[in-house]
Amino acid sequence: MAMRGRQRERLFRAVMYVLFAAGFLAIVLVADWTLIRRNFFNVDLAREMFPDVLLIAARNTIVYTFLAFSFGLVFGLLLALMRLSTIKPYRWLATTYIEIFRGLPALLTIFLIGFGIPIAFQTRWHVLVNITLGLGIVAAAYMAETIRAGIEGVPKGQMEAARSLGMSKTQAMASVIIPQGFRLIIPPLTNELVLLIKDTSLLFVLGTTPATKELLKFGRDLLNTRANATPLIVVGVVYLMITIPLTQLVAVLERRNARAR
Amino acid sequence: MEQASAYAIEVRELHKSFGDLEVLKGIDFTVAPGEVVCVIGPSGSGKSTLLRCVNRLEEPTSGSILIDGEDITDPDADVDGLRSRIGMVFQQFNLFPHLSVTRNLTLAQLRVRKRSKREAIEVAHANLERVGLSDKLDAYPAHLSGGQQQRVAIARALSMDPDMMMFDEPTSALDPELVGEVLGVMRLLATEGMTMMVVTHEMGFAKEVADRVVFMDDGIVVEESPPQQLLQDPRHERTRRFLQLVN
Ligand SMILES: Nc1ncnc2c1ncn2[C@@H]1O[C@H](COP(=O)(O)OP(=O)(O)OP(=O)(O)O)[C@@H](O)[C@H]1O
Ligand SMILES: [Mg+2]
Repeated sequence: MAMRGRQRERLFRAVMYVLFAAGFLAIVLVADWTLIRRNFFNVDLAREMFPDVLLIAARNTIVYTFLAFSFGLVFGLLLALMRLSTIKPYRWLATTYIEIFRGLPALLTIFLIGFGIPIAFQTRWHVLVNITLGLGIVAAAYMAETIRAGIEGVPKGQMEAARSLGMSKTQAMASVIIPQGFRLIIPPLTNELVLLIKDTSLLFVLGTTPATKELLKFGRDLLNTRANATPLIVVGVVYLMITIPLTQLVAVLERRNARAR
Repeated sequence: MEQASAYAIEVRELHKSFGDLEVLKGIDFTVAPGEVVCVIGPSGSGKSTLLRCVNRLEEPTSGSILIDGEDITDPDADVDGLRSRIGMVFQQFNLFPHLSVTRNLTLAQLRVRKRSKREAIEVAHANLERVGLSDKLDAYPAHLSGGQQQRVAIARALSMDPDMMMFDEPTSALDPELVGEVLGVMRLLATEGMTMMVVTHEMGFAKEVADRVVFMDDGIVVEESPPQQLLQDPRHERTRRFLQLVN
């Protein structure tokens, strides 16, 4: 007699567990644990990294993220409004911008801002300007689409109600539509924030001084000078300490949004 | 200078098409100051479109609309100013869900009327009292019943001190037991002398409150007369058939 679906599934899962356990055991037996401990979990080296890993590296990562996110939000809102404009050239400009900067590798844009523009225009901007623009220009392109979706998600009756009270289109946008649109997109915007935190690791290409290193650069430099992987583990943990609370927050907000419907 | 019109609303030869679909096919229609006019008619006959043309939420295709004698189809017309003088109440209430009841009522007063915050709040509270919701000043729309939301929407429109009020099926989205409280507020407005144009399926309300009932079908005004006559002894076969269907 053929097995029932439920039984077959249970058997399949049992086989999978056995395979996982066997694989895990094999790794544990084959691995050289003293070597691993020395190279990945060197406590002395880890201890040496504090407090700089938090006070300099993590702080820089957070500052760079904040700058790029703020720029992306403001410029992204502008792009979203241009895409929704009744004026064709605005729509066309915004669409072109969004397509270009979503289509290019972020690293290329960062290089362009950091090296292309100084060469072309013989100017040197403050490193924070390069960082804000390098990441922010790309972030704006992604956020513009998210913000547009938020604005379009606000029911049409809201604009009509505001207009019927005599408010201009701009007034209605500013006090009625945009505040509601942003409420809808807090979860996806938080996701963009998490992506941006990770993308700050690309900024090393702009060149760093000890005071401007972000987390990954800080870890990599120690990896090179000390020939040991422990710094990567430490900065990895710091990244997760920043990103996991945010992704958890997104989950909570999404659940709340779903309930509010 | 043109002689001021005797009408609050005067619609002449109004046509409105959506693409190839002609929805209003030459409407002539007036509302006198202080008059309450109910508009009835089957679904899709163009009642909402007519109402929405009057405050230019829809752009008329041709014809003219005069509000207090001022032609609002004129390209130079001050549409925002016009809308602030015409209160509009929607079937779906359309309250601003992110704002408290009081903020719903003060927003346009502050932005459009440029009233001081203090004055706007005073006006808001007076109008909430008028619709019997003085205890909901700080509530959010989501925490109100449909009937309460619609009364807040009416109070919001009234807070702009409009010259006239338009209602588009204000009770159609409500549970039957909540219809009465909204009609009650509208009845109050009518006795206060507010000029009103009401699209409704509530024949009882039309019979009792309206000075005139207009029957629309297929983009034209088929007939209009005082409620007793139109509702009990319609002249046209189409009106008779419609009334049989709704009763
Ligand atoms: N924005 C629009 N675009 C295209 N067609 C529209 C639009 N608005 C209304 N219509 C069409 O115009 C016709 C009249 O619509 P309208 O909403 O004025 O009817 P109504 O008399 O208010 O009906 P109901 O009682 O269902 O509200 C309908 O056929 C509708 O599909
Ligand atoms: Mg309608």
